Amino acid sequence: MSTTSQKHRDFVAEPMGDKPVTALSGIGEVLGKKLEEQGFDKAFAVLGQYLLLRKDGELFTEWLKDTSGANSRNAASCSQCLREWCDSFL
Amino acid sequence: MATLGNKSDQEIRELLDEYGIKHGPIVNTTRALYEKKLREAMAKNNVTKPSPDKTFYREEQEEVTYVTYRTPVMSAGPSGDGKPYMRSRPEYSERDFVDDKLYSRSRPEYSSRRQYVDEPHVYNTPSSSSYSKPTPVVKSGGGVVEEEKTESSGRLIPLWIQFLVFLIVAGFLYFIFINMESAESSPFNRIQ
Repeated sequence: MSTTSQKHRDFVAEPMGDKPVTALSGIGEVLGKKLEEQGFDKAFAVLGQYLLLRKDGELFTEWLKDTSGANSRNAASCSQCLREWCDSFL
Repeated sequence: MATLGNKSDQEIRELLDEYGIKHGPIVNTTRALYEKKLREAMAKNNVTKPSPDKTFYREEQEEVTYVTYRTPVMSAGPSGDGKPYMRSRPEYSERDFVDDKLYSRSRPEYSSRRQYVDEPHVYNTPSSSSYSKPTPVVKSGGGVVEEEKTESSGRLIPLWIQFLVFLIVAGFLYFIFINMESAESSPFNRIQ
């Protein structure tokens, strides 16, 4: 039952380029601001972190929850979004 | 051991491998996460080790009751073994604080010693109790005095139901016997 949001579909459909971090599925205004404060102002920076964690979904969701205070649902959504993007473009 | 912040990246990496945590490179952004995972793993290791000990202790308590119950019956053997249990328990908890290696070493030693000594006791007592009980029950019929209230030794049908069924069958047969017509006075009397 993977009902992906429009945001998710938009993100995984094309290379992310310079998209802001709020373009990621599961990352809204509040979480986006917190991530920018930590230095992750662009989506590719979060992608970099995902890759550093060896594309491990669990580690990444844990990191995202610790860094931005995301809840499990948003963190999982972001993780899945990045995973699918990597499947297509990495 | 919790001064993870002071360790070098290499040491963090080694610790992660030790705990079997899959990880990527230790970078400034990933380090905090790995330190947190290491702390969780350390805390979990320290927590899970005592709880199997607790189950050992619980079992040990039950076995101690077996041992002490049997000391009037049998002489030196079990009671002599009871004492090492009592002694080894405080000794074991002291070792807990001293060193991790001692800890892991004493635990298999403890468990293996317990297994050697306990299992014959544990196996003997319930089997002997379960074999000894049914024979007096069958012979004496209804009036059985329960001398010791041991736990149910794994019967499918509870004992009281067996008693009840036996009584019902016996009563039924008795009832039939009473209502039988005596063979001496035959019903076919000649009308005189």
